[in-house]
Amino acid sequence: MTAVDSPKANLSAETPPTRSPWGTWALALVIGFLCVTPFVLVIVISFGQKIEGAGWAWDFTFANYQRFFVGALWPEEVTLLHLQRLYYALYYAVIASVLAVLTAFPFTYLLTRQSRRAQSIWLVFILASLSLSEVFIVMGWDVLLSNRSGLPMLFEVSGATDWLKETGWFEVLREWGLANPRNVKFKTSEFATILTMSYLVWPYAVILLYPALSRLDPSLTEAARTMGAGPARVMTSVILPTVKLPLIGATLLLFVFLLGSYVTVVVFAEPAKQTTAVAVYESVRGSTLDAPFGAAQAVILLVTAAAFLALAQYLTKRSEAR
Amino acid sequence: MAGLSLKYIRKSYGDVRAVENVSLDFTDGGLTALLGPSGCGKTTLLRMIAGLEDPSAGSISLGGRDITRLPAHKRKFGMVFQSFALFPHLNVSDNVSYALTIAGTPRGQAAARARELLDLVQLSAFAERRIGELSGGQRQRVAIARALAQEPDVFLLDEPMSALDAKLREDMQVELRQLQQRLGITTIVVTHDQHEAMTMADSIVVMSQGRVEQMGTPQAIYHHPENAFVADFIGKANFFDGVTEGGNVRIGQHLLQVTPPANFIDGSPVRMAVRPEKAMLAGADDINRLPAKVTFVRDVGPVQDIHLDTPIGRMIVSDSESGQPLRIGDALQVTLPADAIHVFPRLSDQAAA
Repeated sequence: MTAVDSPKANLSAETPPTRSPWGTWALALVIGFLCVTPFVLVIVISFGQKIEGAGWAWDFTFANYQRFFVGALWPEEVTLLHLQRLYYALYYAVIASVLAVLTAFPFTYLLTRQSRRAQSIWLVFILASLSLSEVFIVMGWDVLLSNRSGLPMLFEVSGATDWLKETGWFEVLREWGLANPRNVKFKTSEFATILTMSYLVWPYAVILLYPALSRLDPSLTEAARTMGAGPARVMTSVILPTVKLPLIGATLLLFVFLLGSYVTVVVFAEPAKQTTAVAVYESVRGSTLDAPFGAAQAVILLVTAAAFLALAQYLTKRSEAR
Repeated sequence: MAGLSLKYIRKSYGDVRAVENVSLDFTDGGLTALLGPSGCGKTTLLRMIAGLEDPSAGSISLGGRDITRLPAHKRKFGMVFQSFALFPHLNVSDNVSYALTIAGTPRGQAAARARELLDLVQLSAFAERRIGELSGGQRQRVAIARALAQEPDVFLLDEPMSALDAKLREDMQVELRQLQQRLGITTIVVTHDQHEAMTMADSIVVMSQGRVEQMGTPQAIYHHPENAFVADFIGKANFFDGVTEGGNVRIGQHLLQVTPPANFIDGSPVRMAVRPEKAMLAGADDINRLPAKVTFVRDVGPVQDIHLDTPIGRMIVSDSESGQPLRIGDALQVTLPADAIHVFPRLSDQAAA
């Protein structure tokens, strides 16, 4: 309870005429401790060593990082399993965040063209939907996409499956991994993973895009129209360039957020296509009990996210300076 | 070729009638000002001409061709917006050549035309600047150059001076007028500033509550207002309510002579208007002479505004000649020349002035 107590201590320290710096210092210390310690601990542990059957010990070895990139048996044998998991984490997050922003953009644009009242109702609804936890949403989609009670069942009963088989689309779906020999199947698949991830962050995408789009001056699009630009040209030559930065910003934020998705991946991704975030948890808490390796994977995930943010910053700066 | 023509244009938003049965013919190559108080429907009318709003009824034609349902991007009427609406992501030159880029003009050719237009508005040195680096006056010039780039048939300006300060506004009015005359392009300017309209326009359309009150040259509108609203909105006027009697106007005990005689049935309620500069303090005539008492004097240098109390009501007289020193309480005579009196029908909902 120190975090709650210290602001009070700080306030009472301000009431005497001679102001003591101790309250401020104490508060800074508590905040610093709470923010930095777990972080530093993870970094330090990532250089530690696992002791078989007895947890881990302090050390300074790069073995965990080596294991991540080339496998534990290097140089005799190279394993890219962990890099592959990082690849899937990036793959899911990139597609899902881009998909969410792409679909949220037209929705938000049309929303800002509605009456004030309609806008407030929609925004309240979208904000309210944020209170649904990831577990809740994943459970809903789990039921919806499950083979015995969800959409596949509906496909079968409604005759859509037979229709797909007749038209030849069924074979295409099988190639995409969205059908078993008897019926369509969505679980487990990349499709279901990415769809659920997009769904999870979609309200955030709307909320991130709303301020920029509602500030967009309608006379800009009208001016373009009077100069001969049809609706599609107005979109590509005026609206998109004007809100380019908020679009990139929203995509990045959602991407970094999705990089750490856990429940969705556990439920919907195929076992061979799990991500680093899931692997971290399995290392730390799962059957292997290897905290140092889990920490190393967590650090790599963090550095990857930071690298992407830095890259984006660099690209935006360069396009601005053009 | 017949120019731009509006027939029975109407626009309603739900129950609100923004524009009511407006029919206008715009002179080819002339500058027409749509003038009226805010909310009179002038901007809505301009937006319908531009194709940004659809009229609820009526038709718009250009050169005899019906363009009522033609979308804005196919009309290509150059328009300058109140906020100028310059594209923040493009520099000055790219803003000006936007219409040409959209039309698929080769890049070099579009840039050359942009240079030409920037020369025209004296901004050649600013071609590479970002919009954020320009002053209000410069932005307006860019907006004008941009709207002219596609060589539009009709040039529309929505309150183009409202974002400028007073000094710059007067300079730009003259400059815009000279530019328009040089190009000979049919131009419509929306404004609420009568001074601006009188400075620039060949003809003025005075609007109020969605209706056209009067259309005519600035001089005609000033000297021969067709109704009390125009007399009041354009310039200043003293108003008196009375009734007609043999073509003249009776107010209380006074019978004021009017030439030409007012064309009303005897006893009609009328409102009479006299411009402050037309009333005279030292008139030679005996007709329409009234005793008056000075209640206030406003001396602004070349002109004195003298507030008077008279038996027919209060009035203001602008006096630029007599130069006689007047003090509050002085008694004098004021003459209202018979040919300077405008008589309008008085509607029941008009309160006495």
